[in-house]
Amino acid sequence: MYRDNKIKFMFLLPAAIWVLAFTIFPLLYGLRLSLFNVKIGFPDEFVGFRNYVQIIRDANALHSFMVTLIFVAAGVTVEIVLGMLFALLFNRPMPARGILRTVMTMPLFATPIAVGFLFVTVFYEEGGLINGILHIKIPWLSTYFWSLVSVILVDIWQWTPFCFLVFLAALQGVPDDYYEAAMLETKSRWKIFRYITFPVIQPTVVLVLLLRITEAFKVFDIPYTMTGGGPGNATQVLTMYAYRVGFRFFNFGYASAISFVLFIVVMFIIMTLFKRIREVYK
Amino acid sequence: MKRFMKVVLLSVFALMFLFAVAYAGGGEKEKGGAEKAAGPIQYKYLKWYDDGSVDLITFEDNEIIHLTKKDLGSLFGKGKQPFKGKRIAVTVNNGGPKGGISGPLYRVRPAWEELTGAKLDIVEMPLAEQLQKTINDLRLGGGQYDGFVEGAWYMGEYVTPGFIIPLDKYVENPKFPYWDPKWLPKSLKDIYTWGGKWYAVPNDSDGQVLYWRNDILSDPEWQKKFKEETGKDMPFPCKTWDDVIAIAKFFNGKNWDNNDPDPDNGIVMHFKVNAQGMFHYMSLSAPYVVMPRNTVDRSTVYWFDPDTMKPLINSPGHIKALKVLYELQKYGPPAQASWDLGTAWDWFLRGKAIFVFSWGDVGELVQDPKRSKIKGKLGASILPGTYDVYDLDKNEWVHFDKPNIVGNTTGGSWQGVISVKSKNPDVVYSLFALMATKPFHIWNVNRGWTGVDPGWITDFLPPDGTADLKGYLDAGWNESDLKFFLKAYHDNFFAKTMLPYLRINGTDEYWRTLDQNLNACMIGKISPEEALNRTAKLWDEITDRRGREAQLKQYQEAIGYKK
Repeated sequence: MYRDNKIKFMFLLPAAIWVLAFTIFPLLYGLRLSLFNVKIGFPDEFVGFRNYVQIIRDANALHSFMVTLIFVAAGVTVEIVLGMLFALLFNRPMPARGILRTVMTMPLFATPIAVGFLFVTVFYEEGGLINGILHIKIPWLSTYFWSLVSVILVDIWQWTPFCFLVFLAALQGVPDDYYEAAMLETKSRWKIFRYITFPVIQPTVVLVLLLRITEAFKVFDIPYTMTGGGPGNATQVLTMYAYRVGFRFFNFGYASAISFVLFIVVMFIIMTLFKRIREVYK
Repeated sequence: MKRFMKVVLLSVFALMFLFAVAYAGGGEKEKGGAEKAAGPIQYKYLKWYDDGSVDLITFEDNEIIHLTKKDLGSLFGKGKQPFKGKRIAVTVNNGGPKGGISGPLYRVRPAWEELTGAKLDIVEMPLAEQLQKTINDLRLGGGQYDGFVEGAWYMGEYVTPGFIIPLDKYVENPKFPYWDPKWLPKSLKDIYTWGGKWYAVPNDSDGQVLYWRNDILSDPEWQKKFKEETGKDMPFPCKTWDDVIAIAKFFNGKNWDNNDPDPDNGIVMHFKVNAQGMFHYMSLSAPYVVMPRNTVDRSTVYWFDPDTMKPLINSPGHIKALKVLYELQKYGPPAQASWDLGTAWDWFLRGKAIFVFSWGDVGELVQDPKRSKIKGKLGASILPGTYDVYDLDKNEWVHFDKPNIVGNTTGGSWQGVISVKSKNPDVVYSLFALMATKPFHIWNVNRGWTGVDPGWITDFLPPDGTADLKGYLDAGWNESDLKFFLKAYHDNFFAKTMLPYLRINGTDEYWRTLDQNLNACMIGKISPEEALNRTAKLWDEITDRRGREAQLKQYQEAIGYKK
């Protein structure tokens, strides 16, 4: 029995080492950094929770947090809704469906940095792709409102295909019997979706929601390349601010504190969602 | 089919593995190869003459740069490779083999390697990551890089912790390629030295001047229309920023250029966050803040109170200057709030704006027919000034009868410095010094794409300097454009009053903070007062965090202030 247990633990060991080395250690090290004033090459100075208190006083950090929340809320909502609509559309028989599905997923494989630079030209205000074709003068990148809209639109463009792809897979897993039975009761497509399709694919929707929220909170590349966080600090998300503080201004302790706050917020949201899922499925 | 796919995949992996092994092995071979080589040296990028002079042939372009024996230094000669088997790594802005500042390194590398026997690794880095990567390397003791082609504002970050070495023992040492410190005006010398010691080998000369469309502004028809519309003579050439505003306002929205059917602008600037937009403000604001004298005292310090390190950025002179900048940007394209340098330059090069004030690159790019529609139509001068200057010492406005004109070294003046961790400082210096020799430097300056802008007396035409007009004309310059351009830069770098240059620890942070608030001001989100008050508050926080005493001491050293 003891020997069996030993073998079990031996098999678990690589995974445990992996988690400790690449998840727990960086996490604890990050926490430690956030409690110190860190200057590379100099002894660290313990400052307690001063870095965390500083976040509350730092208007730039609070603003960046708000920008991140807006980005996540608007971006993820639209991505989920659009992804679902496209999945429902492409789940039906239509000509060239395979090709269209492939085309739909292409943005997913583009590098975010390249996407950022690409969309600088698309949103170029003096005759760029959108303003040029539509003969309009929307200040896409030079006002607070439109620059944030632009960045969110690009994120939607890139990540809707992910939602679409997963939802489509989920939809294809719904047995036809369910629909056939439902059709005996009602012809309303909305009712069938509401009471048959959605409940069946709901776990997938929640999973996609969790993944997208986590990823959206970590967004960096697209605003960094498109706007540099501007104009002013209109599109400065929290990760970008942490990057600036840490790697441009060498204030690693404060940058770690900012990152840790972001981590806690994301964890809180994820835990809340998980709790809700557990309640529903009990 | 599955079996076939497996075979294909395995073959691909096997090939990749073999390639990786071969590549790694190749690297080793190259390192050892330098030691194994024997016999006469095969020259491909150097052509030697009997008098010891040499033709240096540039990479890819195969252009010839002739260096005399004196230019070359006694260490180098036919059959000599004094640094054989050594290898150095030098960092530079990422611009590629034909990019500004990085390009010259690629052009000279094969010739320099034949000359020295050493190998050069060019490590390109994005501007935004340069300081962080190099400082981390220096602080953590990695020592991956031997030298850096760095922006002058990094100097404090490198010098005070002792990360770069002083170069005085090399300068004027006849063993090394020859460049003369006397070629440089004081304004540039000040940013290549620290505490009287040379820390950087001169390369680039950055400063902003005013460019305009000379064909339009000197056209009597337009001058007549200006008078008809405004009731005043066109204030051209511009002496003050108010003159620039008056002209920019008049031309903005009119289709004064027939390049396209759309209306054009009075001026163009770039204000994208983190894209050097704050430099516009620094250059423009200088005459409002720096009193007309060539001494370092409390009335000429611009950035901080030199006795307390209190920010001066929200003093009345600065606020007035930002109001002027805000007024001026109204006569440019609204999108400029999100434009970077290149986009703004292109607007001017395409004939869409009357004015731009920027670096030497603009004058040089105007000569490139692939990018410019305005070759031969350029005018340039030192930046205009103002009659009223705020005296920071006496805290009062002072009115002058003549405009206060202030020169600037705004920008990076990209310069070669040597890491204290380098095991081969002589080798690194030989590279930077070779690039600073008169023939190589003027070759760079003649060709605008190199990003090396004029500033030394060797770059200016007589009587201001010793350059040869033919060299510029052969490189494709329009003579009228060139004369405006060189005169503007000469006036700028040799101006009696200069904008002091900030190069203390945290300069990047101080500037980024200013940049973000300026941008918010330019799009009307906050007022000029608010923008500068916020900046001052943040500057105080930065100073306190970095240590006020240390920052103050460094600031005094950097600008040469003595109480």
